[in-house]
Amino acid sequence: MHDTLVAFAKWLEATPWGLMTRESIWAYPFVQLIHFTGLSIWLGTNFALDLRLLGVGSRRSTAAQLAQELFAWNWIGFAIVLTGGFMLFSGIATAFIANVAFQWKLGMFVPLALIWHVVVQRKAREWGQTSDTPGIARFAGLTEILLWICVITAAVQIPNH
Amino acid sequence: MWEALEQMGWVKTLGSTGWMYSTVAVTHYLTMFWFIGSIAVVDLRVMGIAARRRGIRELAEQLFPWAWIGFTLAVISGFLMFATDAGDWAPDKVFHVKLTLIAVSAVFAFIVQRGARRWAQDPAVPRAAKIIALISLLLWVATILSASEIPALEGLG
Repeated sequence: MHDTLVAFAKWLEATPWGLMTRESIWAYPFVQLIHFTGLSIWLGTNFALDLRLLGVGSRRSTAAQLAQELFAWNWIGFAIVLTGGFMLFSGIATAFIANVAFQWKLGMFVPLALIWHVVVQRKAREWGQTSDTPGIARFAGLTEILLWICVITAAVQIPNH
Repeated sequence: MWEALEQMGWVKTLGSTGWMYSTVAVTHYLTMFWFIGSIAVVDLRVMGIAARRRGIRELAEQLFPWAWIGFTLAVISGFLMFATDAGDWAPDKVFHVKLTLIAVSAVFAFIVQRGARRWAQDPAVPRAAKIIALISLLLWVATILSASEIPALEGLG
């Protein structure tokens, strides 16, 4: 399993986009720009729904309406995040898979937060019918915010390891 | 002057205490994504390509309070990060570009927020409104770029 992962990482580093991200001083900021622009759309739309489920902020839209209306751009944001993240990863893939903070980020927190997000987004349609949201919805919204904070915390630690 | 800020007791403590600096950095990234995303969704709505079944005004009222809370937290955490290395950041040209872009982008965000009330009442969103929203969106993208280019150009980070 580990050998396969290392082989895959080495292959990625040798791909044209891996080479470009690693060796061009100009490519890196633009690839990071893709990742960060996507993250803004992704987290902005996620938190809008999570906070509405929590019951804080404007109540003119219900959580169900927000979940439905923000759905498309939420996942467009995610696709942008994934594109930029994959390119960043390809640049120095072998270093990333050996990095403990990266292992926590991609091996633990991202899958957890992502699964949680899909559940929250689906359930919001039933939890968010009325202006007041049930206790479980508040818990779910708060938990999703905390999970994304864990993801960013792990990401910030990557250069320190 | 900037060296003096860098040498203040609490700034040195912040810069040399791993968990403190990390907390500030996490806050900066988190709130930056949060506020830019919130503004971007309203911009996209004004442009007519997001959340079309929700009114512009409703969406703006949902998202702009978060945008400004996030913006304030990002500015505070950003200043704290700046303070720990103020002597190097202060004369940095790319950093000046970044600060200028933030100021201009914030003004455009404010214009979109104010306009959202009026544009929502028109039968169709005015073309000028769509252009302002597009400029707002592009300005934030440029701001992120100016921020991420700094390490590449200056070796700071």
